[in-house]
Amino acid sequence: MPETQPRAGEPAERDIPAIEVRNLSKSFGQLSVLNGISLSVREGEVVSVIGPSGSGKSTLARCICRLEKIDGGDVFLYGQKVNDGDHSNKDLSRLVGMIFQQFNLFPHLSVLGNLTLSPVKILGVPRSQAEEQAVALLRRVGLEEKRNAWPNELSGGQRQRVAIARALAMNPRIMLFDEPTSALDPELVGEVLSVIAGLAESGMTMMIITHEMLFARDVSDRVLFMADGTIVEQGTPDQIFSHPEVPRTRQFLQRTLPHYGGDVPTDERKENERHGP
Amino acid sequence: MGLDFTAITPYVHMLLAGAVTTIQASLLAVTFGSLFGVVVGALRVMPVRWVRSLAATYIYVIRGTPLLIQLFLIYFGLPSLGLNLPAFTAGIIGLSINSSGYVGEIVRGGIEAVPKGQWEASQVLGLSYMRTLRFIILPQAIRNMLPAIGNEFVTLIKESSLLSTLAITELTMVGQQVRSVTYASFETFIVVGVIYLVMTSATSAALQYVEKRWKVA
Ligand SMILES: Nc1ncnc2c1ncn2[C@@H]1O[C@H](COP(=O)(O)OP(=O)(O)OP(=O)(O)O)[C@@H](O)[C@H]1O
Ligand SMILES: [Mg+2]
Repeated sequence: MPETQPRAGEPAERDIPAIEVRNLSKSFGQLSVLNGISLSVREGEVVSVIGPSGSGKSTLARCICRLEKIDGGDVFLYGQKVNDGDHSNKDLSRLVGMIFQQFNLFPHLSVLGNLTLSPVKILGVPRSQAEEQAVALLRRVGLEEKRNAWPNELSGGQRQRVAIARALAMNPRIMLFDEPTSALDPELVGEVLSVIAGLAESGMTMMIITHEMLFARDVSDRVLFMADGTIVEQGTPDQIFSHPEVPRTRQFLQRTLPHYGGDVPTDERKENERHGP
Repeated sequence: MGLDFTAITPYVHMLLAGAVTTIQASLLAVTFGSLFGVVVGALRVMPVRWVRSLAATYIYVIRGTPLLIQLFLIYFGLPSLGLNLPAFTAGIIGLSINSSGYVGEIVRGGIEAVPKGQWEASQVLGLSYMRTLRFIILPQAIRNMLPAIGNEFVTLIKESSLLSTLAITELTMVGQQVRSVTYASFETFIVVGVIYLVMTSATSAALQYVEKRWKVA
């Protein structure tokens, strides 16, 4: 069984954040997408990121795993500055794994081939050992019997679970999820969320971008609300979902959760209704 | 004036031998041309600008000049640099280089048709650029490109008739020899044309069969 628990580091490492982003800015041409974001994620912490479309959530995750070049600021993963080009893709893959909305499985490889490619080619794990580990990971996501299937033979939910197992095969210390269930039919969302919840339970450090508010509420230690390239508000799920302090957050929740009412005082709710969609 | 094919029947076996040489030359050229073309196509999308430009220029020059001139440069031109190649070797090199320009462009298209997410997933799984290309992108691109490379083979069967200008005894050259002894020009080149048509049709049919099988797999 591959270890997914955080590795035991030197005692000092316990104080080093798993993710630390300092004053991160990113533009696409004229469009400024991230405006000086700072955040820190502790080892073992599960952080959800919510916010309206175009607020920069995906860009933030992509900057953290270096899929985007950043324009300003710094990204540290376990104290290592990863934005100055000293880390190979291999180095980075040991630190952080990423799950995409569109799964991005390799269609020319079987499920087992998808899971073993990187461990064998990049980490130099012997094939038999890599396959053993792959089967164990597939068992963990409930797809052991699909080991010889091809990606196009799987449902969306199964594909995403394979993608999660594939990322875990590199044994990263952090996992990023960018709307892992947004491309799925509603009836397939649950199976993927329960795999992610299981990972959270196992102590994996995770950052989850999601529109599944109830899931974010249940699984997160902390919720970040982003809008217009900044973190507008953050706190425990209870603080964000039940006692949001910033009007922008309340507005967003009200639009997203049709039955949202919660602890917003009645007169404010009325006001929100007036400004609502 | 009637057509009289009996005059050339004694030479049919020569024409068929020529056809075999044509097939051999086309097979060799499509093989080397495709191998080299994959390299050219891969260089064409490298993230290094001068490498990309170099490959683009190569493709531009190859596709913008006649195959005949390319063959002449190699067979008649290179000796002045002290490089004397046997006619068949020169012909195969010329055809292969020519083909690599076209295949290079096919490969570039094939690579660019692979979704960006495949590059991204590979990167976060720790694959370097070259390994992503080799293990993830090219296998998918080449699968999509096979029909186009098959067409390239059919094209080469026809274009290889230019090898006759280097006195290589492929089908067209043999046709000229047969004509010069029989004086039956029309009949000879009708037969030569039909043999080409049979070769290209058979190749196309074989490729379609392979393609269908491939899709099912
Ligand atoms: N490669 C790119 N080139 C140009 N603009 C981009 C690029 N990627 C993102 N953007 C723009 O950056 C802004 C933020 O995009 P981002 O994908 O980070 O938002 P998001 O919060 O993830 O939204 P969603 O909830 O729709 O996924 C958007 O306006 C988007 O159009
Ligand atoms: Mg997004």
